[in-house]
Amino acid sequence: MNTVEETIDVAVPVHTAYNQWTQFESFPRFMALVKDVEQLRPNLLRWVVGRGPLRHEFDVEIVEQVPDSHVAWRSLDRRFMHQGKVLFRAAAPERTTVVARLDVSPAGMGLLAHLPGLAPRVVHAELVHFKEFIESVGQEGGSWRGTIRNGHVYPVGPEPARSRVPRWPVG
Amino acid sequence: MRPSHEQPDERPTVTKPKEWAAGLPGVAHALEYSLGQTSVPRTATTLLAINQPDGIDCPGCAWADPTPGHRHRNEYCENGAKHINDEATSRRITSDFFRQYSVTDLNRQSDLWLNQQGRLTEPMVKRPDSDHYEPISWPEALGLLAGELKALDSPDEAAFYTSGRVSNEAAFVLQLFARAFGTNNLPDCSNLCHESSGFALSETLGTGKGTVSLEDIHHADLIFLVGQNPGSNHPRQLSALEEAKNNGARIIAVNPLPEAGLLRFKNPQKPRGIAGRGVRIADRFLQIRSGGDLALFQGLNRLLLEAEDARPGTVLDHDFIRSNTSGFEEFSQHARTIAWEDILAATGLTRTEIEQAGDDVLRSERVIVCWAMGVTQHRHAVPTVREIVNFLLLRGNLGKPGAGACPVRGHSNVQGDRTMGIWERMPDNFLDSLQEEFGFEPPRAHGVDAVNAIRGMRDGHIKVFVGVAGNFVRAAPDSDATEDAIRRCSLTAHISTKLNRSHTVCGRTALILPALGRTERDIQATGEQFVTVEDSMSEVHTSQGRLEPASRTLLSEVAILCRLARLTLDGKANIPWDQFEGDYGLIRDRISRVIAGFQHFNRRVVRPGGIRLPNPVNEGVFPTPAGKALFTRNAWQMPEVPEGHLVLQTLRSHDQWNTIPYTDNDRYRGIHGGRRVVLVNPADLARLALEEGQLVDLVGVWGDGVERRAEGFRTVPYPTAVGCAAAYYPETNVLLPLDSVAETSNQPTAKGIVVRLEPAAGE
Repeated sequence: MNTVEETIDVAVPVHTAYNQWTQFESFPRFMALVKDVEQLRPNLLRWVVGRGPLRHEFDVEIVEQVPDSHVAWRSLDRRFMHQGKVLFRAAAPERTTVVARLDVSPAGMGLLAHLPGLAPRVVHAELVHFKEFIESVGQEGGSWRGTIRNGHVYPVGPEPARSRVPRWPVG
Repeated sequence: MRPSHEQPDERPTVTKPKEWAAGLPGVAHALEYSLGQTSVPRTATTLLAINQPDGIDCPGCAWADPTPGHRHRNEYCENGAKHINDEATSRRITSDFFRQYSVTDLNRQSDLWLNQQGRLTEPMVKRPDSDHYEPISWPEALGLLAGELKALDSPDEAAFYTSGRVSNEAAFVLQLFARAFGTNNLPDCSNLCHESSGFALSETLGTGKGTVSLEDIHHADLIFLVGQNPGSNHPRQLSALEEAKNNGARIIAVNPLPEAGLLRFKNPQKPRGIAGRGVRIADRFLQIRSGGDLALFQGLNRLLLEAEDARPGTVLDHDFIRSNTSGFEEFSQHARTIAWEDILAATGLTRTEIEQAGDDVLRSERVIVCWAMGVTQHRHAVPTVREIVNFLLLRGNLGKPGAGACPVRGHSNVQGDRTMGIWERMPDNFLDSLQEEFGFEPPRAHGVDAVNAIRGMRDGHIKVFVGVAGNFVRAAPDSDATEDAIRRCSLTAHISTKLNRSHTVCGRTALILPALGRTERDIQATGEQFVTVEDSMSEVHTSQGRLEPASRTLLSEVAILCRLARLTLDGKANIPWDQFEGDYGLIRDRISRVIAGFQHFNRRVVRPGGIRLPNPVNEGVFPTPAGKALFTRNAWQMPEVPEGHLVLQTLRSHDQWNTIPYTDNDRYRGIHGGRRVVLVNPADLARLALEEGQLVDLVGVWGDGVERRAEGFRTVPYPTAVGCAAAYYPETNVLLPLDSVAETSNQPTAKGIVVRLEPAAGE
């Protein structure tokens, strides 16, 4: 595994930065490399990054998520094998330090794994995009305040809206 | 004279069972059958539209489709292709046909022959004093049925059966009509196939559906295939399993028969599937005795508990168990008391085999259990599914990607029909919503399921039986009892596409109401309509026919039901049946207001891929009364088999769709030119002093004093589990007693019939 770690300071409170980060489907709005994200479940995301011959689609499992603290994930796709973590630390009441850590398998992540120096630059650039976006809009576009531990989802409140579906027995 | 379909076959040819499924022969057989039914252009139209985002949902099975953009141009299997072109056939049944054949004549014909006559094209009636069906106009036919319904002393004297081919829109309209009429008598094919799964999952997880999507299959570490035959019954599952294997998954197949599709798959969409050896499916095959699955999972659970004892904190997911479950202590105490000798007796496996499977489990972070009717059609089916849930809970294999419970359903919309309210005991909150939306008081007393509907007809409480799609007479257990019960009805009516035995075994008055098929264009007052269906993985999507209808006089299922409702209800309840018939979007608007999860149904369902209904378990919610998943204590059980007897499981041939055989061949099992065969382990044949190819009668053993005998079956030595025989249904449904049902779910036990084999008279 090659580890990439990049840090950036963002001029919003930690809960604002964190809440925006939980809105994965908004990422294509400000991240250059991310073309589409579909949140299939609280702990399952489908990402599309890059375009043309460098387009990759892969599923990601969120294995740990703690509000205002961190989000950790792992790829479920052997062709794009990696794991990552984003940490949020309150640097001041209105400032947050965001640390992104990516562990890339030599066999995964295509060019990111093979071109030296590319992965840190890409990760840093996307963090800058995140910073520019959230600082310019000033507040998060939504939030999910549940927790994920060891891959299991612990929602806030007993009955989140998405769980309100027919539950009677199906034969 | 016994009907031809009950006569012994000419001696069928028996060859070695296949050890792989699909490949080029699958393509060839699909095309051969399709082109035998209809033209090249119609075949091409149907096949290229099957399971495409804007195309026809294959009625063949309920396996989910890949995400749009990931589908093959040919996104179907051999059996789906056969099934869809069986419906798209160019053969037609007209009134001349019914003048030529009396009902008695037709009832002498085999199921295969009846189906091969082609599509029904006009409404027909059999009057009480006649042995022939004769033409009747739509208004007269529906008026006759409505009049009979209105003349009943109570709405509960009618029953409305649904088969899983029925769309969400037709199902919603049917249940609405039945409840506005005043009854919850809504038996369905779910009662016969996965009722036990629904009961057990609801009780333990708080939701009656499977928790797994295709991506979970793709990313699992270990997949159990229990009591199912994907090669014949849901072949597209094999593509998902192939992808899982490519991602490194292991597969354990658990079944009495070493079915070809459990062993190896040659994907005809890939070069190595055509020219190469394909992919091995099962890394481990556990040849279990029929009815031994409960004991197997009890054994695995005991192994997991003992492994945790030996290495505390490393085997069980304590955080998950503590946070999300209740009843663990009571379960674990009980699980340790299950004796190994009982586990080995029930499973027929060695302890080493079970321990090796247990080691696979310990090496796997993400485990899925798939199961089908080999699990659900036993007396102890509900405890078996509950024990599977225990197994999944122990290591937190619920609610995380790549893990979960996967009941594999058969009929394409069997799940959706239930979601739409086709159930005899819908919860009050659903009935409250219906009342609020439509302004009438739905009946609250529970109705009858399939078994109780037969009892009701037998006892004279149910006098009118309406079947929407399907072939109830042949799908139901205890054929003689069912046929007697049906014949006691004053009227039976079937909304059908093709002829089957439910038309030849009928009430004193009988109606055939011919309907559009899934493949056909459905044009109503507001233009061309589509319908929606829900697959086994809770994905709701559209289906739009492409072919010109088999006849101009066909009505859609929705239209037939709306017209019947209007004629029957005489304005009772202010329901705009005319508008529903003219615009199915208006039905979907009502669905969106009555059924949770269907908000903005019309807008969302037309997106490519449709709507994925969330499963509460995957949202971290276990909506049981306790708010947690339940561990349960399940007593050890196995089928009781007297000396000299076998446990018979009934099954489909490869060339068969539900009750309808397409040919007399079952090439995967090496049976050619006959269906009245019984597959028996050679050791059992020797023990019972029977010869290969000997003609025997299968005689059921049940304590009600009724002799149930299926005559004239050839013995075939077959590598099925010792003590377990297999034979095709519906021919063997005659052996399944009406009262032989699963505990609590009331599902007939078609995989656990105790029989003896008697040499046939004259042999």
